[in-house]
Order: sequence, then structure tokens, then C-alpha cells
Amino acid sequence: MSIVVDSVSKRFGDFVALDDVSLEVRDGSLTALLGPSGGGKSTLLRVIAGLEAPDSGTVSIGGEDATQQPPQRRNVGFVFQHYAAFKHMTVAKNVAFGLTIRKRSTEEIDERVDELLKLVHLDGFAHRYPSQLSGGQRQRMALARALAVQPRVLLLDEPFGALDATVRKELRAWLRRLHDEVHVTTVFVTHDQEEAMEVAEQIVVLNDGKIEQVGSPKELYEQPANDFVMGFVGPVSELSGRWVRPHDVEIKREPADGAQEAMIDRIVHLGFEVRVELSLGDGERTWVQITKSHAQELELTAGDIVWLRVAVPV
Amino acid sequence: MKSKYALRFVALGYLALLLGIPVALVFVNAFQDGIAAAWDAVTTPEAQHAFYLTLVMVAVAVPLNTIFGVLAALAIVRQRFRGRALLNALIDLPFAVSPVVVGLALLLVYGSRDGWVGQWFADQGIQIIFSTPGMILATMFVSLPFVVRETIPVLREIGTEQEQAAATLGAGPLQTFFRVTLPAIRWGVAYGVVLTTARALGEFGALSIVSGKLSGETETATLFVENRFQRFDETGAYAASVVLALMALVTLLAMTVIKPKEGQT
Amino acid sequence: MSRGPRAVPIPGAALGRGVVIAYLSIVALIPLAAVLFKSLENGTDAFWDAVSSPQAVAALKLTLIASVIVVLINAVFGTLIAWVLVRDEFPGKNVVNALIDLPFALPTIVASLTLLAFYGPDSPVGVNIAYTRVAVVAALLFVTLPFVVRAVQPVLLELDREMEQAAESLGASRTTVFRRIILPNLTPAVIAGAGLAFARAVGEFGSLVLITGNLPNKTEAASYFIFSRVESDDPVGAAAVSVVLLIVALVVLLFFGWLSKRALRHEE
Repeated sequence: MSIVVDSVSKRFGDFVALDDVSLEVRDGSLTALLGPSGGGKSTLLRVIAGLEAPDSGTVSIGGEDATQQPPQRRNVGFVFQHYAAFKHMTVAKNVAFGLTIRKRSTEEIDERVDELLKLVHLDGFAHRYPSQLSGGQRQRMALARALAVQPRVLLLDEPFGALDATVRKELRAWLRRLHDEVHVTTVFVTHDQEEAMEVAEQIVVLNDGKIEQVGSPKELYEQPANDFVMGFVGPVSELSGRWVRPHDVEIKREPADGAQEAMIDRIVHLGFEVRVELSLGDGERTWVQITKSHAQELELTAGDIVWLRVAVPV
Repeated sequence: MKSKYALRFVALGYLALLLGIPVALVFVNAFQDGIAAAWDAVTTPEAQHAFYLTLVMVAVAVPLNTIFGVLAALAIVRQRFRGRALLNALIDLPFAVSPVVVGLALLLVYGSRDGWVGQWFADQGIQIIFSTPGMILATMFVSLPFVVRETIPVLREIGTEQEQAAATLGAGPLQTFFRVTLPAIRWGVAYGVVLTTARALGEFGALSIVSGKLSGETETATLFVENRFQRFDETGAYAASVVLALMALVTLLAMTVIKPKEGQT
Repeated sequence: MSRGPRAVPIPGAALGRGVVIAYLSIVALIPLAAVLFKSLENGTDAFWDAVSSPQAVAALKLTLIASVIVVLINAVFGTLIAWVLVRDEFPGKNVVNALIDLPFALPTIVASLTLLAFYGPDSPVGVNIAYTRVAVVAALLFVTLPFVVRAVQPVLLELDREMEQAAESLGASRTTVFRRIILPNLTPAVIAGAGLAFARAVGEFGSLVLITGNLPNKTEAASYFIFSRVESDDPVGAAAVSVVLLIVALVVLLFFGWLSKRALRHEE
């Protein structure tokens, strides 16, 4: 099911959460809403789900205007950052909830719950309570619960935000694989650009209630629409008054056309990569990122004078 | 530290003199003429009716106040409306009102002689004051706030996310309430119910005014105790008190068991 | 502005609110309003006469003074008991802890009887305070016991022990620590509990009935005075004193509540 958001605005008192936002999400795609806190991404997601009502604008799901529909009718799966587990129900009952509401038969429910628990690798936990599960397990349960009623669209609000780094990485990869298997239109919110870049096919960058850019991870990184996107989506350093990617700066031992002179202040070894911090003639500072082998090749040391040139990306 | 023992001694001493020994004495005095006499005293027709009436009070007032309590808590915690803070404060009124004032207040409204609406009811043949309905009203008044007070913090604590999740899964408001909200707040409600019941069982002052104290008819267990005492039937008074005290101890037990669970979900 | 779906729709919301307000009105608000109206039925002069009669004044004085004394005593003992229950360990502590709520759970008339059993004419230890003003104080001590204890206990439980340890490492003695570190943190709770206790004490009736004798101008509390006015078919007089009692209770509750919150803010 595709999602079409048309000129949606939403304010909370004086605070403008969404300012005339329009967006199309392709059927079956995996999209990330990326941006800083307070930027509007969670609000947009909740408007799509029907958990918030927009002040103006429309939301269509699968071609149908859903703007007037309450969340019950939209058949959207929603996964919350803090799981929203039904603490007084077992894992199985949690996952079964949507089906129980729809009064499906016990056999059908049991079968479907089994299927889903296997899908999320929680088979064997059916009779445990959420309080007995780890954060990552609870989130997988929440996902199974949302998928149980075969939603047209799956929405996840900072789904891995409450988990620690290793679990986050695992679940990211796992979400990607799940999407490959289940093929439901998925939109997730994150403030972590690495997460968005790693998982999503399409990224929507939101800031201050407005969409800054929509594109694939590669497009956003290499052709950012503005400084904000550039700075948010990847590392930046400044050279010749422009913002550039630190990877895209060449270090030369001799002066060259268009190259700027600089002195190496400090060389920081970050494992595989090396960060070279430099001072430019006008008192400005900048930094460049190169591989360890390249640094060794160039035999860089602090105090060296080198020339910097922005390499045009292919 | 010696002061530790001193503190403990003073604290426990105070409690013993104020609570422990007096209450224990009630049990002793009840059986001063033997167990049979005590048993007889609480099984007279008047006594049985008194306890029966007390249980009627509880059976009506507690469920009504529970429903009110849950609805009020939902309104105060989940809704935004003008006068919300005022409603919250008004619910605490019964804590500030003397039971005799409660009795007077109900008399003035529901009394069949000059009551605001009591006269109208009397014309329809319905007697409120000096009859069971008035006594139930009095019991409801004095035990009103407990379920609200205990449910509000629990309701606040669980937040709305579970309810939102239920909505996205297709549950309507009633389904969400019964399947998600109510189970989540059940221990807060339960504790409130126990407190309401205890208060309802013990009501005396308001009933002194609105019941008419007709023995065998509008006399609850608490009024029965006073009645027996005024008639110099000490055994009767103490024996009935023992029954009430036992009910109180059961209440305490329930409180002790449920209170820790209030924080759980 | 488009009319979108409500967030977490509660269609019965207004209805629920209406039921709540109607219930509250029928059971409590309208009857209390009736008391207010009745007290002024014969004009403000009659009101004033009713509350300034010697018997009324005596009853009110007794109630107020006894309540103040009782609140002061139970503020101290309540804090002490809470301290012992939280910081000390001894066999049977759980039972004692549960029994603190006995005055909540026990019917007031039974409380009157229990106090009479121990402190009345048949007292096994020969202490007879029946029909004296001391009996009023004793009864009120009984019924107001749990308030301060239960208000202070959770605060004591939450208290950051590290604060005390820091103070001790800086050289403070145990008493100083208690005085300067612990007590200030308990004050908001003690005040809140005291307010509740006072409101309970001024209105108390059942526990006074048997042990005080309710002798007018001597051991008759305001609550019993109101009761006797009702029995004497003087609802206006009863209502007038009721209004006074109500106002006192409410003012104290609100004031103590405000005081407690103010003290709490200093803790933030």
C-alpha cells in the first residue's frame, strides 16, 4: 500500500510540528524519516497512523483518503519506542491481541501466533510475560503483534532507540531482512543517520517541521540539497568556504592547481581510518579523513606542510 | 547505639498503649461471660439484622463508588476540560466533612418533611431518610473518594501508549478499556475498593442521623454496638465489636497484601 | 482546519464526565449546599447567634484545642513511629506496620469502646479518664494516628542515604544529621499528614460518643453539639456550626497543603 501525505500541517499550541508537509511513500518500500529531535518526524508518523489529527492536509493509504479515519480503521501496524507491551498479558496474548479483537477462531489465532513468533525468533517465549523479556525481545514481540493483523502499512517510531548499541545493530539488520521477507510498506522514524543509511531504501529528512530532502542514502550523501542535510547525513569539514566531505579531500605533498596550503596540527588514528587535523593560512582549521594505508604512503607527520584539494566525486 | 532501642521502645510503647492493648481488651471483655454468651449476643434477631444491614450498605455503596471512582479517575487523568482541577479537589470533600454534617446534609435534601427533594419522594411513597436508601446515600458519601484517589496515580503511571497500541490494533474504546486499561490499573482499583469497604463498614456518625436508629430495622452493626452499650448490655456491645474488629483485621490483611501490588501492572 | 480523527478517541468522554459530576452532585455537593443555605435561612444574625451561644463556643473551643494538641502529639510520634518502621528491624515489624492502619479500618464506635475498656471505669490498670477532656484527646489521638505515619514512611523510604553519609563524612553527628538533613526532607510530608489529621480530628464523632460522656460545656465536641442540635429539631443551629466546622477543616487542609507543597519546592 502506498502512502500519500498532502500538505499536512500540525501545531501544538505555539509550536509548529509540521509545516505543509507532502510526501509519497511507494508501496512495499522501506522508508526512513530522519531528523533531529523535535523536527516533526514522530508527529508525521503518528498523523499517518491516526494517532494525531492534522490541522490541515490529507493522508491517503492505498489510494483511500484516511484523514477522517480513527487508527482502528486504518489497519496500520505501529511499533512504539518503549514497546507499549500489554504488561498483564503473555507474549502469545500480546501478539494475538489484534486477532482476538477481530474475533478470529482460536485455531486460527494459535496458528498465526505460532507463525509470527517463529518469524521473530521468539518461539518458546509464548507463555512468558513482557517483564521477563529483554528490551530487544520485547520489541520483536511488538513487531510480531503489529504484523499479526496483516497491516497495510507498518510504522515504527524510533523502534531501537531504547536499546543498547549491540542490540540496535542486530535489530537493524534483522528489520531489513524482515522487510525482504514480508514486503509490507514500512516507514520508520530515527534520529540516527547511520541507522537510516544502513536500513532504508528511501530517506526523508525532516527539520523544523519541513522536508529538507527525499532520496536514497547515496543521493542524500553525495548530492545533499542543502547544508543541513549535508551536515546531518554525514561528516563535514570546511574548505575554501565550502562544506565538503572529509573523505573527498585529497592531500598532496606538492602544490597543485586549486589546492590550498595547510599545516598538519595533529594526526589521530581511528583504527582503520586516520583523521588529519590541519590549520589553513587564514587561521581556519579543517580536517581530512583518509585510510591508514594512504596515510602511511604519504608519510604524514605533524608540522608538515601539505596541499589540500577537493576531489570531485564520481 | 542505645538510642535505637530507646526509640523502638517509645514507638512500640505508644502503639501498645494507644492501639494494641485497648483493642485486645475488646476481645477479652467480649468473652468475659463466656463464649456462649458472646455468641448469643451476636446472633439475636436484632444483631443478625444489624450485620445484614451493614453488608447491604457495603454491597450497594462499594460497587457504585467503584464505578464512579474509575470514571472520575479516567476523566481527571485522560481528559482536558475546564474545571478539572476543581473536580479533583471536590472529590476530596468527604475527607473534610464531619460524619454528622453528612447526616445533616442528607437530611436537609432528602428528608421527607422539609427536604429539598425529600418531600417529592415522600409524595411518591418513597422514604429516603430514616430508611435504607438514605443510609446507603450516607455510606456512599463518606466512602466516595477512595477508589478515585488510588486509581489516579496508577492510571497516570501506565500512560497512554498501551491504549494507543490497542487502537492501532483495531480495538474500539470499550474493548481497549476492558482489555487493556482496566487490567493495568486493577491493583490500584482493588486497594481503593478495600479502603472503601472498610470505611463503609465503619460508618456511624452520618447513620446516627439518617437512620432513625430503629432497632431491627434501620440499625447497622455500628449503631447496634452503641445501642447495646446504652442498654448496659456490655457483652453484646463487646461481642458485636469483636465481629467488627475481625472484619477490620481482614481489611488490614487485604490492604497489606494488595498495597505492594499497586506499583505493579 | 480539517476535522481529522481524534487521537485515541473516547466517544463516551463527555457522557462519563457528566455521570461523574451528576453522581458527585447528588451524593455530596447538593447536600452540602443545603447545609450552607440552611445555616443562613434565618439571616446572618441567627447564624451568628447559633455559633456564639455559650454551649456552641465551648464545643468549638474544645474541638479546636484538642485537635491542635492531638496533631502536635501525633506529628512527633507519627514521625518517630515511621522512623522506627523504616530504619529499624525487629521481629513482628510487618505486623506492627499493618496495624498502624487499624484506626482507618476499625469503626469509630468500636474505637470508642476499646478506649473505654482500657481507660474507663473498668480499666484494668486503674486509669479512668472517662467523661473528661483528656478522653477527647485520647480518642482523637487514636483516630488520627495513621495520617502522619503513612505520610512520612514513603518519604523516609525514598530518602537518599548518601546525603546522610556525605554529612557524616563532613563531621556531622547523628543528631545533627537528623536535624539538618533528614528532618527538613520530612517536613513537607509531616505537614501534609498533619493537615489531614487535623481535618479528621475536628470532624470526629463516633470515637467520642461513648468515652467522653458528651457533657455540654465540658466534654462535648463540636460534632456532638451538631448532633444534639439535629436531635433537638434545630437544623438551623446545627447547620450554622456545621458551616464553621467545614470552613475550619477546609482552610486548614488547603493551607497545610499549600505549606507542604511550598516546603517541597525547596527540595527540588
